[in-house]
Amino acid sequence: MTGPRVDLDSEQMGRDLVALVLTVVELLRQLMERQAIRRVEQGDLSDEQVEEIGTTLMLLDRRMKELCEQHGVRPEDLNLDLGPLGTLLPRN
Amino acid sequence: MTQPSDSRVASSSANAAVTYVFAVCRSTRATSALDVTGVAGLPGGEAVRLLPSGLLTAVVQTVPAADFTDEVWQRRLSDREEIERYARAHHAVVSAVATHGPVVPLPLATLYHDDDRARSRLADEADRFHTALKRVAHHAEWGVKVYRPLAPEPGPAADAPPPEAAGGRAPGAGLAYLNRKRGAQARREKLREQALDVADSVDAELRGLAAASRRLRTHGAALSGDQRVHVLNATYLVADERAHEVGRLVAALGERTGAQIELSGPWVPYSFVGEV
Repeated sequence: MTGPRVDLDSEQMGRDLVALVLTVVELLRQLMERQAIRRVEQGDLSDEQVEEIGTTLMLLDRRMKELCEQHGVRPEDLNLDLGPLGTLLPRN
Repeated sequence: MTQPSDSRVASSSANAAVTYVFAVCRSTRATSALDVTGVAGLPGGEAVRLLPSGLLTAVVQTVPAADFTDEVWQRRLSDREEIERYARAHHAVVSAVATHGPVVPLPLATLYHDDDRARSRLADEADRFHTALKRVAHHAEWGVKVYRPLAPEPGPAADAPPPEAAGGRAPGAGLAYLNRKRGAQARREKLREQALDVADSVDAELRGLAAASRRLRTHGAALSGDQRVHVLNATYLVADERAHEVGRLVAALGERTGAQIELSGPWVPYSFVGEV
């Protein structure tokens, strides 16, 4: 996303691609988060581990928000409508 | 959009005409007195007219075959304004006929090579048409859409990171983050379950009133740009003498469940005429 932007279409395409990549990353992040929450609920993690995982996920979450801001992607853009299956990520 | 066999008219010559069938009703005295000359019909077609065949009467229009070839129709299907024009024209004819008695609306773009073919279809499927006409007589269709009750505003602590977490690695911040996410996830699950419960109970109550019902696919937000979560999309066939109860029941259900319920109707019972 550097260099002079003259071609509107390729710019739009670049943005779409960024949004798609961020969507996939966000999906993985949310899956990891769910998995972590499940593990915590099972109670087989030590306090240190929980803290470590929580901090990592929190930092990832923050990084994700920064990336979205940098690329002008709104959080609600990070989703795909899968028709009858609903949306890729839970809404709200 | 299924189209009967005769709809493939691509091979016809450019200025050939075909018979477009809007709807089928009974051949009663009221039907034969039906004045359809004032109904516009489809763009480019001749006048809308009645095509009686025994105990059934079709409401038809002669249209240019070239307007309904597969390619033209495919192109039309992907043009929302254009398809809306055709759907509205179709619906206007069906509605005009429905004011005079029971009617079985046919799918958009039901075409026959000529009047004889259309007549023979009426004869072949007379039983099914009569069954459908009997089912929808003195009934109307009502559409009901339920949207998830508005989520209670999460408390201030729910989503905003507490101040000590802002620095990043404050002790306990990781645990706090996970707990916050856990809470949010549990809330979401609960809302989802509540919404499905609401949808089921609304559907159950309305089914009690209806002669028949159908649940359709709920639609995503994308098409309408609507941000609400659609949890029930259903349609009910209700006897005319109970029509006044529908609005009352929907209002009562909305109050009881807190959900947004949208009611539309009465419609010509498109959804309840079966595969005719």
